Amino acid sequence: MLEFDGLHKSYGDHHVLEGVGFTVAPGSMFGFCGANGAGKTTTMRIAMGLARPDAGEVRWRGRPLDEEGRRRIGYMPEERGLYPKMRVGEQLTYFARLHGLDAAAAARAAEEWAGRLGLGERRRSRVEELSLGNQQRVQLAAALVSRPEVLILDEPFSGLDPVGVDALAEALLEQCRGGVPVVFSSHQLDLVERLCDSVGILARGRMVASGTVEELRRREAGRLLRVVAPDAAPGWAGAVPGVRVVSERAGDTLLELTDGADDQAVLAAALRTGRVTHFAWREATLVELFREVVADPAQRPAREEVAA
Amino acid sequence: MTGLARSRSAPSGSPGSGALIRLVAAREVSTRLRDKTFLISSAVMLLIILGVLVFQVVLGSGSDERRIGVTGGSAALGPALEAQGDVLGLDVTVVDLADDDAARTAVETEDVDAAVLDGTGPDPELVVRESDSTLEALVSGAVSSLALGRVLAEAGVAPGDLPQVTVTALDQTSAADQQRTVVAIVGVVLLYSLIILFGQFVAQGVVEEKSSRVVELLLATVRPWQLLAGKIFGLGALGLAQIALIAVIGVGGALAFDVVDVPGDLIGTVGWVLFWYLLGYALFASLFAVAASLVSRQEDLASVVTPASLVLFVGFFIAIQAATNPSGTLAVVTSFVPGLSPMVMPVRQAAGEVAAWEVGLAVVLMLVATALVVRLGGRVYSGALLRTSGRTKIREALRAGRA
Repeated sequence: MLEFDGLHKSYGDHHVLEGVGFTVAPGSMFGFCGANGAGKTTTMRIAMGLARPDAGEVRWRGRPLDEEGRRRIGYMPEERGLYPKMRVGEQLTYFARLHGLDAAAAARAAEEWAGRLGLGERRRSRVEELSLGNQQRVQLAAALVSRPEVLILDEPFSGLDPVGVDALAEALLEQCRGGVPVVFSSHQLDLVERLCDSVGILARGRMVASGTVEELRRREAGRLLRVVAPDAAPGWAGAVPGVRVVSERAGDTLLELTDGADDQAVLAAALRTGRVTHFAWREATLVELFREVVADPAQRPAREEVAA
Repeated sequence: MTGLARSRSAPSGSPGSGALIRLVAAREVSTRLRDKTFLISSAVMLLIILGVLVFQVVLGSGSDERRIGVTGGSAALGPALEAQGDVLGLDVTVVDLADDDAARTAVETEDVDAAVLDGTGPDPELVVRESDSTLEALVSGAVSSLALGRVLAEAGVAPGDLPQVTVTALDQTSAADQQRTVVAIVGVVLLYSLIILFGQFVAQGVVEEKSSRVVELLLATVRPWQLLAGKIFGLGALGLAQIALIAVIGVGGALAFDVVDVPGDLIGTVGWVLFWYLLGYALFASLFAVAASLVSRQEDLASVVTPASLVLFVGFFIAIQAATNPSGTLAVVTSFVPGLSPMVMPVRQAAGEVAAWEVGLAVVLMLVATALVVRLGGRVYSGALLRTSGRTKIREALRAGRA
């Protein structure tokens, strides 16, 4: 288990993290979402020992991460970083060796990863000569080349073309299947939804939601019902017990039902107004969930309670 | 899948500090060895040293050998010319020539440097291609001493009865001293240029890692002090190899071409220059690295390394000045000041004005200063390294480094 436990961090008066915690099981992929400035990067940097938490710790296999443990993590920083004048192959070999591989194993691993990420022909190029997308691949190769036990990737997909995204996704899934816990942050929520077993949403320094995408749906928007009854007069559903009208426009109504509310009673009420062309529970996308939980608490006090 | 699982267990042994420092150092060395600027600057430096040597050899051989033609037999004039040559430090070869015409031709064809016509007669003449005051003095000295001897003999006076000047040298070793001082100055020039050069390399390397953000990836596996140590050791070894190569070629060449007379002194002075290079480099490379860690862009580098470069330059300046006055107050005082001592002390040592305890004290002060810089600077360095926005204040870096 990779455990992030009660992380607090402030820079001066600015509280970046206020008790961030989540767990990633071996072989599962954790998508880390949150608005810009929510604290995702800080959380990852704390795991890598690049920032010191004011409180809390990150554990791997039950032990707090120390230098020794971090050497087994493949890391991709948000601000990409490679030696611009060093050749791709040498660079990968160097990082593999810093992680503890011997010279021969490091050279083999560098060659292997350059090949697998489509950089085989550019092994002898200097990094500065590569396109941004290819530099990104080198960066990823640098994270994978040491055969890490854990992967922590900050925005690994940003700046990649669709082919690059697929190659990276495939590489990550393969690592996952090999038993590696993968944590990555991303703003591409469709990607997170597609790849991740579980998702954590960070807002204002706290985890406002975490769990599988399914769980989040159930918890956050599982009781949203969309009813289209073209002839219905405004306010038709207001009288049904346990129902709150979220939005209503020209007969297209979005209803929120409390746990005990009877959806069949809603249907009956709708039929009484005339034709019903649409009646269904709505599957929220991760984007909607995200908007929901990240929304400013001043505007949605009730939501904040549910989320926290 | 099993292959993946098996290969994952590869990094079993975690590299220790020594291994990490060696890795970082090896990268610095191999990067520099492929850097054209570095290779060219090294080659230029070697060429300059070789050029100076060749120049010395040519200058030496050109000045102390003269062929002088003599007409009408050299039995009397030959020994007199050679004796005068000895006095003037010239190696004179006397050549017999048939007559005046042959003498003129020999001078024109550069077979001889000069020809003396009718040297023992009443009307002697010196033929040269162009005026050469040394030769003129030599020949007229020889001719007049011959004439004087003849006149004295005719008057019945033995030449030995004339008063002779006895020379007493108060400073017996002045020639050797001068030679050592010259070597020390050449050494200090080298030491200064190499410390500046390699200090700059260290500084540029630090900024490169910050500006390319690769430092974040590095610090996930390497501690700041290991990174710093690897950088300084790697480039230091390269710098030492370079100055040692120059020293070997310089000393070897000087001995082979007979430019210096006292090999023991020369080698001793060169040894001290190498020793002080090491101490100076350790201090200044650390200072440069710490200064460089405060900025994130190469453009800002000059502003932060200037104070350290200035100290280095002042030391260099005083050292050159100390060569002419090695026992002056300025030279003596600054030869103990850490940062200045690596350049001033070798000059004083070459001049032979220093007691062993003085050298010892200067070395100890230098080591203490370096330890302080490494300790405090290491903290600044680790505090500033991850601040990749703009310029970091030393105090902030110190605080971050301690936290």
